[in-house]
Amino acid sequence: MNLQMLINAVLLGGLYALMGIGFSLQWGISGIINLSYGAMVILGSYISLEFFNLFHLDPFISMIISGGILFVIGAGIYRTLLQPLLKGGIVFTLILTFAFRLVIENIILKVWSADYRTIRVTYAGSNFQFGDAYIPLIKFLVFFVAAILIYLTYLFMMNTKTGKGIQAVALDKEGAQAVGIDVEKMYLINFALGTALAGLTGSLWASIYSFSPHLLGPIVGKVFIIAILGGLGNIWGAAAGGLLLGIAETAGAVFLGSEWQEAIGMVIMVSVLLWRPYGLMGKKFFG
Amino acid sequence: MFNNKKVNVFLIILGIIIFFFLPRFISGYWVRVITTIFMYAVIAQGMNLMSGYMGYLPFGNAMFFGIGAYITAIGMSKGMSFLAVLPLSALTAILVSILFGLPVLRLRGHYFAIATIGMSGAILSVVQNATEITGGAMGTTLPIINKSPEVTYNYFYLAMLALMVITSLTIYLVVKSKFGFGIRSIKANEEAANSMGINTTYHKVVAWAISALFTSIAGALYAYWMSFIGPEEVFDVMIAVNTIVIMLIGGAGSVLGPIIGAFVISLLSEVVWGTFLEYHLAVLGIIIIIIVFFVPKGITGTIADLIKKRELRLRKKVSV
Amino acid sequence: MGENNVILEIQAVSKHFGALKAVDEVSFEVKKGEIVGLIGPNGAGKTTLTNLATGAFPKTAGKVIFKNLDITNLKPYQIARCGLTRTFQVVKPLIGMTVEENVLVGSLYGRDKRNTDMKNASKRTREIINLVGLASKKDASVSDITLPDLKKMEFARVLAMEPEVLFLDEVMAGLNPTEAEEASTLVKKVRQEKNLTIVYIEHIMKAVMGISDRIVVLHHGRKIVEGIPQEVVNNSAVIEAYLGKRYAKEVNNEG
Repeated sequence: MNLQMLINAVLLGGLYALMGIGFSLQWGISGIINLSYGAMVILGSYISLEFFNLFHLDPFISMIISGGILFVIGAGIYRTLLQPLLKGGIVFTLILTFAFRLVIENIILKVWSADYRTIRVTYAGSNFQFGDAYIPLIKFLVFFVAAILIYLTYLFMMNTKTGKGIQAVALDKEGAQAVGIDVEKMYLINFALGTALAGLTGSLWASIYSFSPHLLGPIVGKVFIIAILGGLGNIWGAAAGGLLLGIAETAGAVFLGSEWQEAIGMVIMVSVLLWRPYGLMGKKFFG
Repeated sequence: MFNNKKVNVFLIILGIIIFFFLPRFISGYWVRVITTIFMYAVIAQGMNLMSGYMGYLPFGNAMFFGIGAYITAIGMSKGMSFLAVLPLSALTAILVSILFGLPVLRLRGHYFAIATIGMSGAILSVVQNATEITGGAMGTTLPIINKSPEVTYNYFYLAMLALMVITSLTIYLVVKSKFGFGIRSIKANEEAANSMGINTTYHKVVAWAISALFTSIAGALYAYWMSFIGPEEVFDVMIAVNTIVIMLIGGAGSVLGPIIGAFVISLLSEVVWGTFLEYHLAVLGIIIIIIVFFVPKGITGTIADLIKKRELRLRKKVSV
Repeated sequence: MGENNVILEIQAVSKHFGALKAVDEVSFEVKKGEIVGLIGPNGAGKTTLTNLATGAFPKTAGKVIFKNLDITNLKPYQIARCGLTRTFQVVKPLIGMTVEENVLVGSLYGRDKRNTDMKNASKRTREIINLVGLASKKDASVSDITLPDLKKMEFARVLAMEPEVLFLDEVMAGLNPTEAEEASTLVKKVRQEKNLTIVYIEHIMKAVMGISDRIVVLHHGRKIVEGIPQEVVNNSAVIEAYLGKRYAKEVNNEG
């Protein structure tokens, strides 16, 4: 594996890392396997697309709007639809989140059609050199921003009252209740944070790759793997998982051909599940 | 159902007879629709045994459908007759369920469901890539039956009807048996079940093997019926999703549930497709949400509740 | 059976959770037909020991011999089928089933193979439900009955398995004095009729005194005292464990 491939892999991995964390948090802490996660990611992409087309707003700026909108959507969905049915177990939450995906998918199809879209910013073509390799400026910026966002998420979880509340609930629900933490509110904010991260990822994705509703399923497939690799609810675990997946996909595409990519991902995931169900990082905990 | 066993048996036999003669009165289109309903009922029975009765949701169960379809396709392309290759397909599915079941059934709840998706995805990838054997991503054909379309679809209608009846009967007998109690205990409280002398591993593996058996036969019949299958089609995640919705609306933990659910969902889809072509996804999604909210126990569950409430009210009246 | 009618031997059993020694080289024997009280303050390791004996936890060290068979590495369901069973401190009813169905599951997996088909198991189920006094509630869903009835049901369920040795884990927990008295009487009555050997786990001294032949006291995972109730209750180490050094000194000064 040469330098260029490694750099490509890492840049991709950084974005995957950000993408996987949201899903991992929702599953690991709020206990919800969100099958509409892919829809939320590309919704973020489309939101940035609109702001770019209408107001020439750079995706790095409109991502904040995406994140905000998706946060509200996530909170709304959780509060009205998921919370009342949590006791129904996995069957209910899987079907519900799948239903959300269908609705969001339909809206996207109606408004934007199934065509692939992109956002072409003016500095799209610039590269800079690093040793033997070329690094596209945008991909570097995306990686950089993703890394910052991941770190901000970590800071939020470690240093704010709400973040610590979420951590407490994740570690010991009854204990957290006993000290007066509003457990339901923590789950809600955590879930909304997850969708916000999805939206942010979508905006960043839109600036470098094309997107369409076709990505809905594959994204969910990827974040599954990332979440399991890193251990559910584990921010740095998911980050590492994202990087690993980026490397595996890039290497896989080069050495094995892209058809085997998905199989590799699946095999890795099942192996991890069997061998270390708590993820490569060990027991579920924060950072 | 109704409390009188004889009434139940009579109604079931009546139902089977009605279904047997139905094709003479309806169009070919509806015969094919109902055949698909029977097929989904079989798949749902298999999943219901695992999920509704035992509490383990095999989200990727469609993999057995695909295995059944592909082994049949491959076997028949080598000259085997359908009836010769059918046991082979079923056996393959059972072996896969046992081989992978032993490690994977140790996982609890979410992890098990996800692991089955992983298994299904991996098998799909293998099928897509082993182009020499399976025809790869472009699919593969089966020998076309040398009869008129009408005879053909009637034949498969009856075959699927028979499969549905056999599957439902088998599952019913399993659930009512001592083994069935073991399965239900696992869902109720797996730790307690272990402490009571129930070999939970054995129960879980056998239950999945039964589920795999019938699901794979449905896949085998489907492949022969369609004469052409592709990997994305028979390993489709939508099969699992449809099945789960069927189980939900039919009601888990009941043998009638999957059958009722399959009919309701199919008829609902027909209506939605016809009326809302452009919005059919969203409408389906909204309907699912409504079902989950207002009929969480499904049709059979809600009716069972109503019957119980009526009994309680009657009992109160009598005692007063 | 071993010498002196010993049916269960706990031999230097230990369970370490990392640095925490939940059970530390505990040894004792149980003779057939005895009621052995297993007491100790909260956290002493009583339930952990039960989990170890019945195979729910793997042991860090030590052996468990049951009816001369080394059951140390058997799975819980295998041990249950050998005749060593337990109830749970926090009841574990089979949710979604009725009282009768819960007990039925126990008798289906009971040890006398002639009686584990549906028909015979149902018969035995009815007998046991009558024995513990739950006949009027047999069709109730387990989510609808009170705690004392849940405990009775779990007791019935375990009896339906026809055990030889039964670990009763804190049967009294959550019961008021009347209910506790009732439970005690029921245990004595059933033990008589079924010739059971019981390991009776409690952390309340008084409850155990009246019912046990011998008592084993655990503290911080170790066995500190073993003997007949009279001896144990006056033992200063025991008093110290429950009430602290001050009271132990007082007793010694008085006694």
